[in-house]
Formats: sequence, structure tokens, C-alpha cells
Amino acid sequence: MTQPLLADYFPILVFLAIAGGIALAMVGGSLLLARQKPDPEKLSAYECGFEPFDDTRRRFDVRFYLVAILFIIFDLEVAFLFPWAVALGDIGWFGFWSMMAFLGVLTIGFIYEWRKGALDWE
Amino acid sequence: MLVGAVFFPLLGAAISGLFGRWIGDRVAQWSTVICMVLAAVCGIGAFAQVALGGQPTTVPIVTWMEVGGLEASWALRYDTLSAVMVMMVTFISTLIHLYSVGYMSHDATPYRFFAYLSLFTFMMLMLVTADNLAQLFFGWEGVGLASYLLIGYWYEKESANVAAMKAFIVNRVGDLFFMLGVALTFFVFGSIEFSIIFAAVPDRAQDIFLGVNALELIAVLLFLGACGKSAQIGLHTWLPDAMEGPTPVSALIHAATMVTAGVFLVCRMSPVFEFAPTALALVTVVGATTAFFAATVGCVQNDIKRVIAYSTCSQLGYMFFAAGVGAYQVAMFHLFTHAFFKALLFLGAGSVIHAMSDEQDIRKMGGIWTKIPITYVVMWIGSLALAGIPFFAGYYSKDAILEAAFAAHSPVGMYAFILGLAAAFLTAFYSWRLLILTFHGAPRADAHTMEHVHESPWVMLFPLLVLAAGAIGVGYLFYPLFIGAHEQAFWQGSVFTGPDNHILHDMHEVPGWVPIAPAAIGLAGIALAYVMYMIAPELPGRLASRFRGLYLFLLNKWYFDELYDALFVRPARRLAEVFWKVGDARIIDGMPNGAADLAVQASRGAVRMQTGRVANYAFAMIIGLVIFVSLFLIGFVR
Amino acid sequence: MAWTLALPELVLALCGLAILLIGVLPKRDTFFPMAMAVTGSLLLAAVLVLGQQEGVALNGLYVADSFSSFMKVLALIGAALGLLLALDYNTRERLNRFEYPVLVLFATLGMMVMISANDLMSVYLGLELLSLPLYVMAAFDRDAGRSAEAGLKYFVLGALASGLLLYGASLVYGFAGTTNFDRLAAAFAAQEGVSPGVVVGLVFVMAGLAFKISAVPFHMWTPDVYEGAPTPVTAFFAAAPKVAALALLARVLLGPFADLAAQWQQVVVLISIASMLLGAFAAIGQRNLKRLMAYSSIGHVGYALMGLAVVSDVGLRGLIVYIAIYVFMNIGAFAVLVAMRRSGRAVEQVEDLAGLGRTDPAMALWMAVFMFSMAGIPPLAGFFGKLYVFLAAVQGGYWTLAVIGVLTSVVAAYYYLRIVKVMYFDQPPEAALERAPPSLSVVMATTGLFNLAFCLFPAPMLAAAGIAAAALLG
Repeated sequence: MTQPLLADYFPILVFLAIAGGIALAMVGGSLLLARQKPDPEKLSAYECGFEPFDDTRRRFDVRFYLVAILFIIFDLEVAFLFPWAVALGDIGWFGFWSMMAFLGVLTIGFIYEWRKGALDWE
Repeated sequence: MLVGAVFFPLLGAAISGLFGRWIGDRVAQWSTVICMVLAAVCGIGAFAQVALGGQPTTVPIVTWMEVGGLEASWALRYDTLSAVMVMMVTFISTLIHLYSVGYMSHDATPYRFFAYLSLFTFMMLMLVTADNLAQLFFGWEGVGLASYLLIGYWYEKESANVAAMKAFIVNRVGDLFFMLGVALTFFVFGSIEFSIIFAAVPDRAQDIFLGVNALELIAVLLFLGACGKSAQIGLHTWLPDAMEGPTPVSALIHAATMVTAGVFLVCRMSPVFEFAPTALALVTVVGATTAFFAATVGCVQNDIKRVIAYSTCSQLGYMFFAAGVGAYQVAMFHLFTHAFFKALLFLGAGSVIHAMSDEQDIRKMGGIWTKIPITYVVMWIGSLALAGIPFFAGYYSKDAILEAAFAAHSPVGMYAFILGLAAAFLTAFYSWRLLILTFHGAPRADAHTMEHVHESPWVMLFPLLVLAAGAIGVGYLFYPLFIGAHEQAFWQGSVFTGPDNHILHDMHEVPGWVPIAPAAIGLAGIALAYVMYMIAPELPGRLASRFRGLYLFLLNKWYFDELYDALFVRPARRLAEVFWKVGDARIIDGMPNGAADLAVQASRGAVRMQTGRVANYAFAMIIGLVIFVSLFLIGFVR
Repeated sequence: MAWTLALPELVLALCGLAILLIGVLPKRDTFFPMAMAVTGSLLLAAVLVLGQQEGVALNGLYVADSFSSFMKVLALIGAALGLLLALDYNTRERLNRFEYPVLVLFATLGMMVMISANDLMSVYLGLELLSLPLYVMAAFDRDAGRSAEAGLKYFVLGALASGLLLYGASLVYGFAGTTNFDRLAAAFAAQEGVSPGVVVGLVFVMAGLAFKISAVPFHMWTPDVYEGAPTPVTAFFAAAPKVAALALLARVLLGPFADLAAQWQQVVVLISIASMLLGAFAAIGQRNLKRLMAYSSIGHVGYALMGLAVVSDVGLRGLIVYIAIYVFMNIGAFAVLVAMRRSGRAVEQVEDLAGLGRTDPAMALWMAVFMFSMAGIPPLAGFFGKLYVFLAAVQGGYWTLAVIGVLTSVVAAYYYLRIVKVMYFDQPPEAALERAPPSLSVVMATTGLFNLAFCLFPAPMLAAAGIAAAALLG
């Protein structure tokens, strides 16, 4: 360990190894233990809502799109919340209220979605 | 009061012209008439104050333009000369406005007519009260414009349009010289203000411009300008045609006021003319020739208004040669008296035309004097004044002119005197020819017309009577002031006479037969006319066929129109055609049309880029970006 | 932490959120009251802007000065008038959804952020806050193919432009080490040469902004989007966002990058010339009024950029005056376009104006005023706008610019005057255009009077523009 930089990244290597191990274990276990009865539908790659291999310029239901967009927004909210929570001690009340404002905006957006029926599938 | 005389007509013109459509014909008409009456009252007041009271003054209004060294203010110069003109113009114009109320009663758009008439009056007043050449030129062009509008007033008539154009174009030729004269004046004197010019004239007497005495050149140029406006021989062709306009217009513009503007100009610029003997000789010769020429033509014309028009032309010639021999006061006097009796004659002619259901050819009249006695009487009075029969207005002034010409004791003076006498004979002749043919003899109009012959309404007769009184009285009344004993006190130097100019004195010392000659010759002319048209009516026809060449020569007005047609009009048309087909259609039009084509092409190109495909748009953006980045980097490296 | 300096923006944002919330809660149609509320908020913001103090706030992200005040007020007026244009039209075309005013409000908020931006980050933030509502508005008539196409085109190209801007900003950050305008200016002033990376970054930023003002060659979206979007949206597009983007471009170029003027100047000159030429020539053959106005606005941006290209206080003042006058001419002309309806249907061809001089003299008169003004015919306001930029160009010795400007304005006069000719000399068709509703008449009369009266009272506007220009140039 002459190089400290590489030493810093050692945990990541460990993490990668464990992740690879778990993945291998799950897929391998399934191969070994489950009953295999393949058909074309099962073998094809899974795509949410439409054919996986097709012309790119085809229609698809806009509801998928809507859900995806809404998901991303709240996904990002959560992604912001973690670092904010960790750093809250340093950024003080200004940081606190900034996040509150952000959440407030998102909440209003959420109310809007709700009232507009964007959350109902049908 | 001084300002009012000038601006009331403008007010009238504005009311009638701008609002005539809404306020109705009657209100428009009478508002202009009232404005004119007010102007006339002011005008007479101004005359009393300035000329009789001896208080010349200048009323500044506003600084008009200041361009480099050229400074022209807008001011009313009231001296005796302009006061005489202001009084005369406002007075006659008022009468003619009044007359027109009757004369134009059957017209479709009288408010337009009255607006033009008032506008004309304003412009004329602007002209005569000008205190510098620029303002005078403004009025000069203004009256030209008003004259154009009024000659072409019945614009649905082809001939009226043509006549209006002709008047405008021929005047433009004169105006060109006038402008050159103004420009040269400014060049020589460094100013266009009368007071400055007049004060500097003696110092500039010897100035040379282009090898010619500058003052001579200025005087000649200004005189040529005056020729255009005053219809002197050569530039006279528009005046007879101008009779296409309504008769009150002929009376006001083409008899009493506008055409005399040239005479006025010569008198106004008398300080310059006095130092330009050659120019004065030219004025005399041209004036005398015109007087004679127009009188000869007048003898054979058959249109009642044209006869009087040529008569006007002839009388203007008298005024010019009077001025030419240095007797400006006499010229102004004749101008003044002439305004009364010539307006009278025109309005009388209008009354005849009105009575004859718009017939103007005297060969188709006759035998109507019992039906329109008042018109008949006033026409007699006008003719007597015109012919210079003693104690009528024309007698005093015309006599004085001929005396002055004789008293000049110069070759040109004699030339003018002889032609003037001849013209006086012819004047009397054609006047009575007109009277006799119009009023006497057997009726030559058809029965239908004759039934309708009627005296004009009082609104027309009243101005006639006033003018008739003027035609009788103004000569006697104003003789002492204008050229008699009180002339020095009257003019107060507003008309300049050189130290060697004793013409006003000399004219009283001519041989005894000279003052009698015009009247005698006039009576002879009347007698001849009486013989030829009353006693032996077949005589003129025989004479005409006998001297066919001469008759045609006169009938065709010395072939001036034909000459001009061949010399100027047709070559100009040909040249214009060349310019039109080659210059205009190919070159001038070609350039903008080519440019327009180019623009359309460019437009198509630009639009073709607009494909509607997002990818292409994005591509264009990226290309632009690449170009800019490379430009930037090149600029940066440099 | 002087965040109160940004009070106008904060208040506007809160108003927007509140209006969104209030608008969505009731079940019934709330278009009209919400539109009124938004108009009120815009005016409230304008009042707050006028009372704003000067200074830098929010960690240097935000700046308030005379320039920003002038431009913000202009943008707010433009937005409010643009919204008024939509009142009647949207109701008739069944576009009366309350989101429309809310989108206008948020777009305007984006403009204000742009105008007050003092950092590349806030530039991007403002630009996106402006762009996103605009994309939606372009496609607002979502059932119409044209409108949807316009929205999509604008979105795709706008995303590209945003990408360019962001890429440029990152380049600048990478080479200069900061995104703050004051620090950038200090850095460029301190060092002798400039790194090519910064220069390339600047070009990318300029490209992104040029897209928003639809300057050639980033104009390609303009005709299609103008034609496709509902007319009030086009009117909105053509006025307020242009103010904000031009203000931002001026602030970016004359603020942090002022020391690089020698480099960016030639690009602005090129953009200006190309825009003037395209604006003049491409519109000649247009029969669709909205497309014609699109090219017209490209040309006007070219003239306005002329003021920026000469890099002087006179030039900047010319730009400010020009854009102010442009807003009023443009809103007015669009008011007429929005009012054009025949038998209940909106029409937008030049021929549809035929005979308007007889059938609706008032509207024809205002349209003629706007057209004459756009053509730059004295004594209308448009003439003065051109006069001041041309004067600046001549004073700076940029004869080429001035000459091309004059020539193209002559060419452009053709299509403006053609509209006047069609209105007054062509035979009206069977069915005359419908009467303009009162809201549009008011807008026409207000902007028309501005165009007419500007020549009488130019001093206040000129003085304000002079102060704004001085504030920006420091």
C-alpha cells in the first residue's frame, strides 16, 4: 500500500466484490433451483408497457411518461434531502428554510397533480 | 387693421375650404364674403392711414427662414404702393365674392370655389405686402397656384384642365427667370430685403456680373418673370385660354389683380430699374408691342371673354411701357383704374353669359339690350372707360400714359407712343364691336335661349353698379393723388424715380394735340365699329374674305400657339417620349425593379432555408456556432 | 444576506404558487379571475421593482441596478399586455385554462431572474425558468397539430440551445475558475491574454442567448413557432422574452466579458447584419401575418443588436430605447392580429386584412400606425428607435452597419407598407372582420398612442434609458 490514493478506494473494491457476489448468487441460485419452462414471452427483455424491439417512432401511452416524470421529481427531492440532512448542522436556519421552501413548492406541485388527476391511472 | 386686411381672406378660405362640406354652401359662401368685407374695410382703412395719412410702416409677423446668410422675415410692408394694391385688391375681391354668390348659385361645390377665391386674395395680398423677395415669391407662386385651381375649377371639362396646365406651365417659364433674378439679387446685394436692397442700389450700380451690368441683368430677369405673370407678348398665350375658368375668376385674377402683379413688381423694384436703362427700354418695347399686338387680335375674336382677355393683355402692355419710360406712378394709376373697368367688363360679360344660358360666342348673341338693360348700361360704361373717352376712368390714366411716352423723347418712347395710339384706336374699335354684336342687331340665338334671357339677380348687379361707379369716378378722383399735384406727398418715395427722371413733370408739357389724340382716336374707333357692325353689317365679312391672310393671321393670334407648339411642345414631347421609353422605363424603372426582383429572389432563398425540419434547424445552429467559434479563435489568435 | 433585495421576484414567485393553488382547487373554470390575479401580481412586481434598492444579493447571484429595473419594468409591462391579449382569444378558442396565466407568470419570473442575473448559474436558472413555460405555451393548443409541432420544435431546439449555454458556462468556469460576473470581470481585467477556452465558452453562451432573441443563425425556430403557436402566445413570445434575453446578453457581454469586447464584437456585428438582412428579405414573400411578424422581429433584433455591437454608452442607450419601443409596436401589432376573426374563426393571412380601412377604420388606423412605426417612418416611435441605434453606429464609425441598417429598413418598409396598402386599397371580402373586443381595443389604443406620442415626449424615456445604460457600463 505504497499509494495512499488507491488505499482510499479500497472500500469501493470491496463493495464491488460483494455486489458482484450477491448478484452471482441470486442469478445462479435461480438457475439451479427454479423450474425452467421457457417460452418466447418469458425470454424477451422486459420493457414497461410496450414492445421492447420496435420502431422508435411509435405511439405509447402518455401515462407512462407522466408517471416517469412525476417519479423523477420526487426522486430528486429525496436525493436532495439526504445531503441536506447530513449538512443541516453547518448550513443553519437559512439552509433549513431553503429546503422548506423547496418542499413547499413541491407540495404545491403535488396538490396540483392530485387535483388534475395525474395520479389516477384511469 | 393692417394685419387684418391680409389675413381675413385666409380665414375665409380656411373656413370655407376646410369646413365647407359640413357647414353647407350658404354658410361657407357668406362667411367668405363677410371675411372679405372685413378685409376690404381694413384695406381701405390701411390705405387711409398709410397713403393718405402718410404713415408707411412695416408689420413684422415672424422670422420665416434663416439659411446661411439668407434671412427672410415674414412682414407686411405697408407703404403707399402696397396700400394702393391692398385697398384695390380687397375692394374688388369683395365685390367679386359677392357677385359670385349669384353667379355660382347653380354650381355643385361653391364652397370650394369660394375657398379658392379667398385663398387667391390672401396670396395676392401676401404678394403686394411682401417686404422681401422671398415673401413676394411666395405670394407670386401662391397666386399662380390659386389661378391654376380656379382656371381648372370645372375639372370635369377637358379644356379647363388643359388651360389650367397651360397657365401653370407658361407661368413657370416666367417664374424661372424670376427666381434667377431673386438669386442674382441675393448674390449681388447679400440680402433679399427690399429696404436693404434699395439702400444699396446706388453703390452697386457699376457691379458687373458675367460681363453684364448686374443691375441690368437683375432688372431684365425680374421683368421676364413679370412677363409671365402679366401675359406680355411671348408669354401671353395662357391668358386667353384661362377664360375657361368661371367668369368671376377671369374678372378677379385675369383682369384686376394677378396679371397686374408683374406691373406691381416692376414698380416695387423701381429703384433697381431706375439704374437699368437698357432693361427699361426692353420693358417699353415689350409693353408697347403687347399693347398693339393684343389689340389687333382682340378685333377678330368671337368669344366675348376672349375679346376682353386680349383687351386686358393690351392694357397691361400700356402699363408696362408707362413704367418703361419711367412713369411708374402713371403705370400704377392705370393699373388702379383698369382694375375697376376691366372687372366691370368681365362681370358684365358674365352677366351676359348668365343671361344667354352660358353662351359665349358673340356671333350668337345680339338684340338683347332691352332685356338686360342694367347689364347693357354698365357694359357701356366699362367700354367707355376702356376706350379712354373723356372723364371716364380710363381717360385719365391712358392719356397720361401716352403723354408720358411722348414726353420721354426717346426712340423707344416714340415707338410706344405710336403703337399706343394705334392700340387705342383698335381698343375702341373692338370694344364697340363687342357691344354692338352682343346687344344690338337681330337676335342670332335660338328662340329657346332668347326666351330665357333675363336680368341677373341683385347680388350680381350690385357689384356691377359699384364697379360702374368706380369706372366713372376713380380716374377723376384719384388723378391728383396718383400723378397730379399731390403725387409726391402721396407716394412718399415708395416708388423711386431717379434724379434725372422728370417724366411726370414733362408729360404736362407735351404739345397740345397729344392729350387730345387718344380721345379723338378712340372716338374714331367707335365710329368705325359703328359703321361696320351697325350700319353695314356685311362689311366685316367682305373685308375678311378680301384680306383673308391678315384675317387668319389675327384670328389665329399671330400663330403664337402654333409656333410654340412646333418649337417647344412637340420637341419636348418627343424628348419626353425618349426619356420615358429609354430613360424611365429601362433605366430608372429598371434599377428599382431589378432591385425588387433581387429582393424577391433573396426572399425565396431565405425562405427555402426554412424547411420545417428540426434537424436542419439544429444543423444551422451548429454551423453558425462553428463559424463563430472559428471566427473568435482567429480573432483571438490575431 | 440581503435576500430581501430580491423581493419583487420572491413576491412574484409566491403569488404564482398561490394562484396555482387557488386556481386548481375549484372545479369550475377559473381562467378569467386567475388572469386578473396574474396581471395584478405582475403590476405589483413592477411597483416593487420601481422601489427596489440597488445592490448585490444572494451570495452574488443576484444584482439590482437601474438597468435591471428598467428592463424588468419593461418585461413586466410586456408580459401584462401579452396576457391581456389572450383574455378574449383564449376564451373563444377554448384555451381558457387557468394554467395559461400561471405559465405567463412563471415565464416572467424567469425573465426577471435573467435580467438580474449576476452569475452564470443564475443565468441558466432564469433561462430555464423562462423556457419551460414557453415550451408549454407554444403547445398550449394541444389538440391542434400546428401548435403541438411548434411546442415540440421549440422544445428540442431550445434544449439544444440550453445545452450550448450550459456547455459554454462550464467552459468558462473551467478556464476562469468562477461563474460570478464580478469575479470574472476582475479576472479578465487582471490577466493579459485570455485563454481560448474562455473564448469558446463565451461563444457558446452567446449562442444560447442568441437563440432566445432569435438572432440569425439561431433564428430557425422562430417562423415555425410563431406561426404554429396560438396568436396571443406568439405575441407574448415576441415581446417580453426578447427584452429579458437582450438585457441578459447586454449584461453578460458588457459586464464580465467587457474586456473581451474586441473578440465578441465582430460576432455581434455579424449576427446583427445577418439578422437585419434576413428580417428584411425573408418577409417579403410571406402571406401569413404571423410568419411575417416572425421575420420582422428577427430584423428588429438585428437593429437592436446594432446598439450592442458598437460597444458604447450611446449604443447601449440606443438598444434600450429600441427594445422599449419595439415592445410597444409589437404588442400593438399583435393585438390587431389577435383581433382578426371572420365568422367566428381566427384568420391570419395578409389578404384577410383587405378593405379593413373601410370596414373597421379604427383598427386599420392603429395597424397602419404600427406598420409605419415598424417601418421607421417619422414621426412615429419606431423611427426614433432606429434613429438612436443608427446614430450610435455612425458616431462609433460603424458605417457598414449603419448603411446596411438603412438599406434593410427600406426593404422592410416594403412589406409593412404592403399591409397598409392591402388594408386601405384592396376590396374587402364578403364578410368583414369582426369587431375587436374591448380588451384588444384598449391595448391597440394604448400602444398606438405610445407610438404616436413618443415624438412629443421622448425625454423621459431617453433619460431613463441613459441612466440604465450608465448603470450597466458603470
